[in-house]
Amino acid sequence: MTIAPAPPQARSLRERLSGQRTPRSDHDRAVLVMHDVTKEYPNGNLALRDVDLVVPEGDFVFLVGPSGAGKSTLMKLLIRDEVATRGEVILDGQDLARLGRRHVPKIRRKIGTIFQDFKLLPRKNVWENVAFALEVTGTPGRRIRPAVDRVLALVGLTAQAKQVPSQLSGGEQQRTAIARALVHDPRIIIADEPTGNLDPLISWEILQLLLRINELGVTVLMATHNAEVVTALRRRVVALEEGRIIRDEIGGAYHRED
Amino acid sequence: MIGFILFSLRRAWQGFWRNALMSFAATATMVLMLLLLAGFWIIQTGLLAGLQFTEQKVEVIAYFHSNASPVQVTSLQTRVEAMPEVESAAYVSRDEALDRFRASLKAQGREDLTRYLDSNPLYASLEVKLVDPRDIRTVNAALSDAPVIRNVLNVEDLVERVLTVTGILRTAGTVVLVVVAVIVLFIVVNTIRLAVLARAEEIEIMRLVGASDAFIRWPFVFEGAFVGLLGSLLTLAVLAAVADPLTTFMTDFFKVLPLQFGSLTRDLVLLVLGAGVGLGTIGSWLSVRTYLIR
Repeated sequence: MTIAPAPPQARSLRERLSGQRTPRSDHDRAVLVMHDVTKEYPNGNLALRDVDLVVPEGDFVFLVGPSGAGKSTLMKLLIRDEVATRGEVILDGQDLARLGRRHVPKIRRKIGTIFQDFKLLPRKNVWENVAFALEVTGTPGRRIRPAVDRVLALVGLTAQAKQVPSQLSGGEQQRTAIARALVHDPRIIIADEPTGNLDPLISWEILQLLLRINELGVTVLMATHNAEVVTALRRRVVALEEGRIIRDEIGGAYHRED
Repeated sequence: MIGFILFSLRRAWQGFWRNALMSFAATATMVLMLLLLAGFWIIQTGLLAGLQFTEQKVEVIAYFHSNASPVQVTSLQTRVEAMPEVESAAYVSRDEALDRFRASLKAQGREDLTRYLDSNPLYASLEVKLVDPRDIRTVNAALSDAPVIRNVLNVEDLVERVLTVTGILRTAGTVVLVVVAVIVLFIVVNTIRLAVLARAEEIEIMRLVGASDAFIRWPFVFEGAFVGLLGSLLTLAVLAAVADPLTTFMTDFFKVLPLQFGSLTRDLVLLVLGAGVGLGTIGSWLSVRTYLIR
């Protein structure tokens, strides 16, 4: 098993965008560490078995595997929607199992989540959907406007800011969701089948955007069934099957190649 | 803190209007349920007043020997009035008794037969009102033992039967009111729950982007309280509209009863407002809790 090295100078998105150079002393520390993680649901279903995974800062990881292999469970553990039955899930240095209920929202602000079904609020326009993430976490109004404008520019939706989701294409809706995931300046982006509902061309567009965000220093973990994209990009690939990691290679393809 | 409250109030207001149909459905249910509760409460209040009036009617009448001297009468009256069980003891002279008899005959439209009498055949009496009709035996005994007393009108059995009936009616009224209150609670809480359920996606997004429990909960709680407030104000408006005809009807119906409707209005306003806002708040609190506990 090989582990991808961290890029030499991983920094937060805001630092990258503002052009400030503040080198981190701990730049090579892992954003995510899973150690011997087992998740058993109350109905006895073993969704994950002895999973070990280390994701250094700035990494771009594809999580692949058939439906039911445990990809969704793994992501639920990361956002602490579920808690591991055994083992440790350490995100940004914090053990999620030991995290008190009150601290869960704070750790979630370090994670940007993107889903196949976008999860946008239909009655709010693009700008409001992105601002919503800041409003409900108690960000002062004066800080919301510049932050939202900044991420909308990054995903290229400044012109569509006043449109509601139903007026947007699928790709634009997913870019809105990405903007919302980025607006908290997260340490890691977790994308669950972000291109699942999109046609191939738009899927590539979304992938390009995620790669660009990754270049800006944000770690990306993306679960996908899109073999074409995974194989073409030659990034780190982690394959799950029946709850176990059966492959973890840098520059891998969607399927095993030996 | 003030910023948080303002944020929650603004979100509650937006939430109410963004789901206007659901909000109005919840408000309408609230109004109907509060009317039901208020109706039963008015009936219960009337029933209790009626029962109390009936119980107050219970009195012990003791007749004096015709040779009882005024001193003896006054002394017994003072002694009886001093008893803790006794509320008042009124002396009715023979002449008064005769006047009353004539008046009652006249009221019944019957011929006054007393003019055929040579002398007044009635006895003077002491009419004793009780603090609590259950003490009738004690008072009865005290009066019977007095030598100046000829006899005591024996109403013990009757009083006990009346007390049994009023007791059952009181319990039944309270039980019915509690059952109605519980039904109202469940229906209102469930209606609010539906309104919250319609916004499950919004709550999910709030959780995903890292909103704290307070930021998720309070807008919904304020919204529930707002639905409750609106519902109770509408209910009070409906009650105010029917108050006049209802009061006329009640006064006609309970003509004999000296009912106090003054405090009824105040209590009713408090009940409706309290139940409305309280149920709205509890309902939304419980509904959001489902999403927060994981």
